[in-house]
Amino acid sequence: MANRTLSLIWMVCFSLLVGVAVVKAKAKAHFEGFEGFEGEDDDIEDLTIDPASLRSPPLSNPTPLSHQPPPSDLPNPPPPPAAPATTFDFWDDDEFEGVPLQHLPPPADPKPDNATAPPAPPPAASAPRSFTVEILCGSFLVMFAVNYFTGKRENENIALSWAAQFAAKESIFDKNFSLLGIGDGGEDSPLLLKEGQTTFKFYASGRRFCQGLLATLELKSRHDLIARLYNMVVPCRDEISFEVYMNDDAMDHVVFALAKKKAAKAMHKDVRDLQRFANVLSPPTSRKWVVDDLSVISESKEVASDFITDAVIDQVFGEKAFEKFGKGLISLHFSDQHPGVHKKVLLFKFALPAAKNMADMSRLVALVPYYIDLIGRYKLSSQARSKTEAARQKAAQEAQKELRNAQQEAMQRRKAEKKKMMEEAEAKLSAEAIRKREAKERARQMKKAMPRMKMARGA
Amino acid sequence: MSSSHANDPRQPSAARPYVPPQVAPQDLPIDYAGFIAVIFGVAGVMFRYKLSSWLALIFCAQSVANMRNIENDLKQVMMAMMFSLMGLITNYFGPPRPSKQS
Repeated sequence: MANRTLSLIWMVCFSLLVGVAVVKAKAKAHFEGFEGFEGEDDDIEDLTIDPASLRSPPLSNPTPLSHQPPPSDLPNPPPPPAAPATTFDFWDDDEFEGVPLQHLPPPADPKPDNATAPPAPPPAASAPRSFTVEILCGSFLVMFAVNYFTGKRENENIALSWAAQFAAKESIFDKNFSLLGIGDGGEDSPLLLKEGQTTFKFYASGRRFCQGLLATLELKSRHDLIARLYNMVVPCRDEISFEVYMNDDAMDHVVFALAKKKAAKAMHKDVRDLQRFANVLSPPTSRKWVVDDLSVISESKEVASDFITDAVIDQVFGEKAFEKFGKGLISLHFSDQHPGVHKKVLLFKFALPAAKNMADMSRLVALVPYYIDLIGRYKLSSQARSKTEAARQKAAQEAQKELRNAQQEAMQRRKAEKKKMMEEAEAKLSAEAIRKREAKERARQMKKAMPRMKMARGA
Repeated sequence: MSSSHANDPRQPSAARPYVPPQVAPQDLPIDYAGFIAVIFGVAGVMFRYKLSSWLALIFCAQSVANMRNIENDLKQVMMAMMFSLMGLITNYFGPPRPSKQS
């Protein structure tokens, strides 16, 4: 409904614009001759008309005039033969007293001389094209402005409907977190923080096992007409990502990720902690598992099978439920080795449904508190723990080594720089010394030369 | 503590207000539109090419539309805008192009 009205508005806008632009162009073309300060293109256009009509009278009697200057009684020097731009320069007013009316205009604008040399085609071609540029760019700018406001409102609608669905009173986040929104928890503190036209943030805190949760809605650039056109070629989706910062004591050694097959491969390659600690697991045959489209990356089989519980399979990720409820999943990524300020982080990435279908993703959103509790309570078995401990120690050692290397490198670089500086300073000094010596030498030579000069004078 | 699901998971005492993360200016996403606008604007002024000036104006509009915080990006956008407007003004109201006379 809204879409249809929008597109209607669009069409009306566009047709109006084009209509106005065409009328304007016509009007302009009519009155061009009378506007003195138009751009040079317009000048050229009336020139294309002028020379033909103006040249006819002289052509009738003195034919050579267009190529040669009148023979005898001219005081001015003959023109250079190379330039053919001489038609009217040497038009002697006294010679043709019979035709003053027609040739009065030419001295008014000196251009025809030039325009006659290369005959008509370029100006005739460029005159209409110049208008299309203005029409197109102007109408695009107006459309851009209109689209800015409509697209902005669309994005805000999506974000607000998300907040109304999941962060309002008695909603899932209200039941799970004691502080909602970016304010200090007052009654009307705003729920969403808007960053730019496409990014909205929602913050929640005050729950067991975690310090806080930050949801970031990354919407399409609907407000930006150019980006919109680009997205017609390269489609993208509205996404929401939840970052849950776990308490330090509430998360065991866990590295786990779940995503579509292709995305999982890419993640395993790109994300550092997955690359270092985890492997892509093949689905076990003994029990129910996630849909074939998804693949699991985990540090150990134990972790994977403990996190993909029967409840999760039934609700979201199983064969039957996935089509209906899990479509919006992009990835899950839980790690206690997250690079950055917070080490223990759960990341959830989902695609957002349309504003009116927000309820479609409620099961996905329900995964967030579910996994916070599950991981908060989770303890590895001692066997697995010893393995992960070793892996982490090794990683920590490597990190330290890297750090030390980097420090050493930095030190060396600093030393080299210092050395360079010293050398430069020395070079400067020595240059100065050379200059001084040269000056002295010159002075000495001058001294030597002086007496001779005296002698010369004396002679 | 971890005994039952029925327990209220909320812990008001553990709530911390939101602290916006500090982002260094060089980590901000690059404003391609502004950059393109500057290039088109300069080209439009230098070569007296009006299409280029118009394009610069359009990319200015995009850059303004995508601006995240005003203080950071305004300088570049203003520069691009000045260039494009200057190009357009010299194009439409300025003296005719000198290259035509040669």
